[in-house]
Amino acid sequence: MEGFINGIGIISPQKTFGTDDFLSEVVEHNSKSLRCIEPSYKEFLNPVLARRMARIIKMGIAASNVCFKDAKVEIPDAIMTGTALGCLEDTEKFLLAIIENDEQFLTPTSFIQSTHNTVSAQIALQLKCMNYNFTYVHKGFSFESAVLDGLMTLAEGEAKNVLVGGHDEMTDKYYRVCDRIGYFKEETVPTMELINSKTNGSIAGEGAAFFVLSNAKSESTYAKLRGIKTIYKPKSNQEIESKITELLSSNGLTANDIDVVVYGINGDARFDKTYYHLKDNFFKNSTATYFKHLCGEYQTAGSFAFWVASKLIKTQSIPSAILIGDSRSRGFTSDGEQGLAIKNVLIYNTFLDSDHSVFLLSQC
Amino acid sequence: MDALIDQLKGEIIEQLNLEDLKKEDIDADAPLFGEGLGLDSIDALELIVLLEKNYGIKIANPADGKKIFQSIRTMAEFVQANKK
Repeated sequence: MEGFINGIGIISPQKTFGTDDFLSEVVEHNSKSLRCIEPSYKEFLNPVLARRMARIIKMGIAASNVCFKDAKVEIPDAIMTGTALGCLEDTEKFLLAIIENDEQFLTPTSFIQSTHNTVSAQIALQLKCMNYNFTYVHKGFSFESAVLDGLMTLAEGEAKNVLVGGHDEMTDKYYRVCDRIGYFKEETVPTMELINSKTNGSIAGEGAAFFVLSNAKSESTYAKLRGIKTIYKPKSNQEIESKITELLSSNGLTANDIDVVVYGINGDARFDKTYYHLKDNFFKNSTATYFKHLCGEYQTAGSFAFWVASKLIKTQSIPSAILIGDSRSRGFTSDGEQGLAIKNVLIYNTFLDSDHSVFLLSQC
Repeated sequence: MDALIDQLKGEIIEQLNLEDLKKEDIDADAPLFGEGLGLDSIDALELIVLLEKNYGIKIANPADGKKIFQSIRTMAEFVQANKK
C-alpha cells in the first residue's frame, strides 16, 4: 500500500498556513497551551455560513481548501478525517446550556455542530461532494486511522485522490480538565527548552492538517507514504522495535536506511524514554528530529509530524528548530546544509504512551 | 415599542452570531427571512428558543410563525401582546 502526498494545508501554532516556508522562524508562545495562528476566513467562507461555525470548523475548511489548491484537486473521491475531540467548543456550549437552563431552551446550532463529523461534513458541503465521507474518533489513533483508510481506499482502486486529515481544538475548559489529571506541566517552558524539561506533563496544543493522498505522482508531490503501523499499549521496547522492523522490511528497508526520524518527544519525563531508547539504540545512525515543542501535545498531533516529514523530503533540508542537538550522524546539519539526500523519513509518535504510531515516508 | 425593538435587535445579533452587523444596520421592518437579514430555518428555531427563554413565550401554533417572524417589528408586537 502506498500513496503520494500531493497536497497539504495546515493551520497550527506555527506560521504554516498558506506559505512554502518550512519553520525558518519559530513562534514562541510562552504559554502552557499553544493556540493556532489562524488566517482571516473571509477568503474561504461565505460570512453567512461562517457565523454559525466554530473555530475548528473554519480551520478545517480553510486548511482543506488550501490543500486542494496545492494538489490541484477540485473534488476528492473520498474524505477521511480523524479527530479525538470533534467540535469541542460547540459540544461544551451545548452541554453547558443543558445544565444552565435545566434541560430547557436548547438551541439547534451548537447541537448540530457538536458532532465529531461536522468538519468533514462541512468540507463536503462546501464542495458539494457526495463521495465517501468518514470520521475516525480513536483518541491517539484518530488521524492514523483516517490515513490507513485513505491508503486502503487507494490500494483497492476505489479512488484516485482522497483527502485525509487530523484536527483537534483546545478550549479553556478542556485544558483545565486535562491539567487537573496531569496531562500538562505546572510550569511554563520556553518552546526550545521543552526537550530538556525533566518534569511530568507536556504543553497543550491543537491544529488542523489536511493532505491529498493520490495514486499517482504529480508536479506537486511532496513524498510517498509507504506504510503505517499502530501499536496499542506496547509491553516493551522490543515489541515496538519488532513492529517497526515489520513495517520497514515489508518495504525492503532496515533501520539503517532511515535518514531522518521525527519523534513525538513532548518533554514529559514519564513517557519520553521510549523515544530516547529508539533514538539511541534502534535508529542510532539516523538524524533525530522532534516537533511537539512547536505544535503542543494533542491527540492528532501526528498530522503535524506528517507535515514535517513531507516537507523534510520535499525541501531536502532540516530546520534547526526541529533538530535534536547531537544529531549530526548522517551528515545533516541544518537549514538546507546536507551531506546526504533525505530519502526515507520515519515518524514515531505516541499519545500518553498508550497509542503509538509509525509512518514511513520516502522520496519519489 | 422602540425600546423593545432595540432590545430584540441586540438579542438577535448575539443569538445568531451576526458579528458583522450593528443594531442600526437592521431595518425593523425588513423581512427576516429570504431577503433582508437572509435568515434560514435553523435561525427560525433559534428565534423560537429566544422568545421562550427571554420572554417566556411559547408559539403554540407553528403556522403563526410566518406572521410573527416577518420582521423585527412584528416580533416586537407579538412579544408585547404575549409577554408574561
